[in-house]
Amino acid sequence: MLLLQNARIASENSPALVESDVLIVEGIIQEIGQSLAIPEGARVIDARGRVLMPGMFDAHVHFRAPGFENKETITTGSEAAINGGVTGVVMMPNTRPALDSATAIATVLENAKHRSRIPVYTSGCVTKNREGKELAEIEGMRGLGVKMLTDDGDTTADPAVLLRAMQYATEFGMFFASHCEVPELAGPRALNEGVMSYRLGIKGSPACAEEIIIDRDIRLAHAAGAHVHIQHVSSKMGMETIRWWKSRGDVKVTAEVMPHHLMFTDEHIGDYDTNYKMNPPLRTQADCDALLAGLIEGVFDIIATDHAPHTPFEKAQDFISAPNGITGLDTALVSLYNHFVEPGKFGWDLVVKRYSAEPRRLMGLPVAAIEVGQEANCVLFDTTAETTFTKEFMKSKSQNTPFIDQTLKGRVDLVVLGAEILLER
Amino acid sequence: MARKDLLDIASLHREEIEFLLDQSTSFKKLFTRSVKKIPALEGKSVLMLFYEASTRTHSSFEVAAKRLSAEVTNFDVAHSSITKGESVRETIETLQAMRTDYIVVRHGHPGLPAMIARQTTASVINAGDGAHEHPTQALLDAFTIKEKFPDPRGKKVLIIGDILHSRVARSTSTLLQKLGVEVAYLGPGSLVPKYGPATIPRFTDYEAAMAWAPDVVYLLRVQLERQDVQFFPSVREYHRVYGITTTRLAEIRDRGLYIMHPGPVNRGVELCDAVMDYERSLITNQVENGISVRMAVLDWLTPGGDFPKQEAYIAQQKAGSPVITP
Repeated sequence: MLLLQNARIASENSPALVESDVLIVEGIIQEIGQSLAIPEGARVIDARGRVLMPGMFDAHVHFRAPGFENKETITTGSEAAINGGVTGVVMMPNTRPALDSATAIATVLENAKHRSRIPVYTSGCVTKNREGKELAEIEGMRGLGVKMLTDDGDTTADPAVLLRAMQYATEFGMFFASHCEVPELAGPRALNEGVMSYRLGIKGSPACAEEIIIDRDIRLAHAAGAHVHIQHVSSKMGMETIRWWKSRGDVKVTAEVMPHHLMFTDEHIGDYDTNYKMNPPLRTQADCDALLAGLIEGVFDIIATDHAPHTPFEKAQDFISAPNGITGLDTALVSLYNHFVEPGKFGWDLVVKRYSAEPRRLMGLPVAAIEVGQEANCVLFDTTAETTFTKEFMKSKSQNTPFIDQTLKGRVDLVVLGAEILLER
Repeated sequence: MARKDLLDIASLHREEIEFLLDQSTSFKKLFTRSVKKIPALEGKSVLMLFYEASTRTHSSFEVAAKRLSAEVTNFDVAHSSITKGESVRETIETLQAMRTDYIVVRHGHPGLPAMIARQTTASVINAGDGAHEHPTQALLDAFTIKEKFPDPRGKKVLIIGDILHSRVARSTSTLLQKLGVEVAYLGPGSLVPKYGPATIPRFTDYEAAMAWAPDVVYLLRVQLERQDVQFFPSVREYHRVYGITTTRLAEIRDRGLYIMHPGPVNRGVELCDAVMDYERSLITNQVENGISVRMAVLDWLTPGGDFPKQEAYIAQQKAGSPVITP
């Protein structure tokens, strides 16, 4: 039994925080109310002043296993999630071997069952080995609970292949997640084409490389009657393209935005800092502003991190040689609070809706909420404390994040899932 | 203001540039002597780390270092552990253990010399990093221009060609602007980036660029090896539209314009053969001046972090006293 006293409860439905006690019995929220009686044997936590919210759900993470366990494992990745207040994740399938068969999916899920303290879901590949040629055995993956199909990291280049996949898999109730990039335009550059790419002497990746595929894949989904989810949008016109398609109302399209694309621009790369190297690349302040407006407006259904761990050795190379991607799970909630909630750009209700409720709905999962009768799935957040993202603080195996050694406002104090306290500070 | 490394032009102060150009003048005077060597860097070691092919920059640095009495070691990339998959970082750790004093580095990746500089106590000189910077080329270009125009302020330099892939265009135009020279770019629309500095006019039409009335026409080498897609239809068309043809050379001669080129020249592409015999071609002067400029740079930088020479110069400049000479 756990009694949280005087917590300020956040929900997706209201910007106001409601102060209440919350009683959890055997992993179920049994009572919410003012000045609840303390049951015998209950552990009491004084949560006064702290925000209690549902556990976050990250629908775009790379846990690197199998194949790249030197970067991350299911254990270290899920511990990084808990560390950041995230209680469920969807892995991307760009592992080695790629998650393109029921066998591969079964292996990951079996591992996760034993090696993760939170639910780990996986997406499956659209095509075998993510090569964009032959369809993966999609129905077999569906049998293991896979809902999302993506060749993440690589756009399915041939529109005919993607269209056929959409026509086939939509019949099974699955949806498609698109990494949007024309490779011939983007190149291996991971730097926005603009003033900064010119200054640094690196050929940039133009935003149109992303925008063309955003439009193409929504058109394909429209033609196939499929649901397409646009991953990690980085540009203003990409956001506007999604907004336009959504306004038509005749195609099922959802979209996600990453904290780093909301917070950083290509200017942050400065003197070739590889902790700002990611794909799609960081773009301009105008893009950041547009993405934030799109998030507030609801063009973006979910926030996800694209948690992409790489070893220090890999990231310590020069900018061209270093791999794309940054970690995000340890830092997501605190950085969102620090950059947006605390300065009043959006409220806790948006965080809960876009980083907890909608991602679970996207995956067809029950929404976590602080309500009587629900399984306990909650995070206690101290807005008056700070977090310093030292190497020791991080639970991810990798520390390739712009936040390394930075101190930000806010701290995840407690993570509860069912009858278990997963984290307590 | 103190310098361990020379990595770019962008971060150089005008006083530093003027110091280096003045020092280059002094070093050039040595060239007419029967003994061209001075002991300025005796006992010091210079490592040449060229990951990209180079003739003139490599040999120019080597000659410069030897004239300063330094020991020069050529790092043989083709026979190094790089071919076994060793990363640049590992290579640098190895080289750092050898305690070399200066590292002259050329690499195809922008920012790599700066990364090396952060990891070693040696003075690092960027001898070209991808399409980013080539600071000693810029210094020798400015030195060559100053020989013709001792006060270059207000003069106009038109840089023609593949601006997009050119580290020379970036460094030289930045440096010339710091000296008060006006710079403009001319080239095919696909090779003159729209994101270049707003202070540099951008032309895609040869006649319009000539109407801008340049004093110097600076031709860039068309770097076909850096172009991963086709940026213009053919070298024949390039020569006709942007090159110095025999007809255009006549006009350039009539106007008395100087011609420069960082080399190596693609004859029949950037320029016709006759340019090589043009009396106002400064292409050979650039090569010669490269040595004195690089001597000045090597003599100026201080490995480890002791910087008396340049500080003394700037103090003298401020006090109005004469410039020190080697």
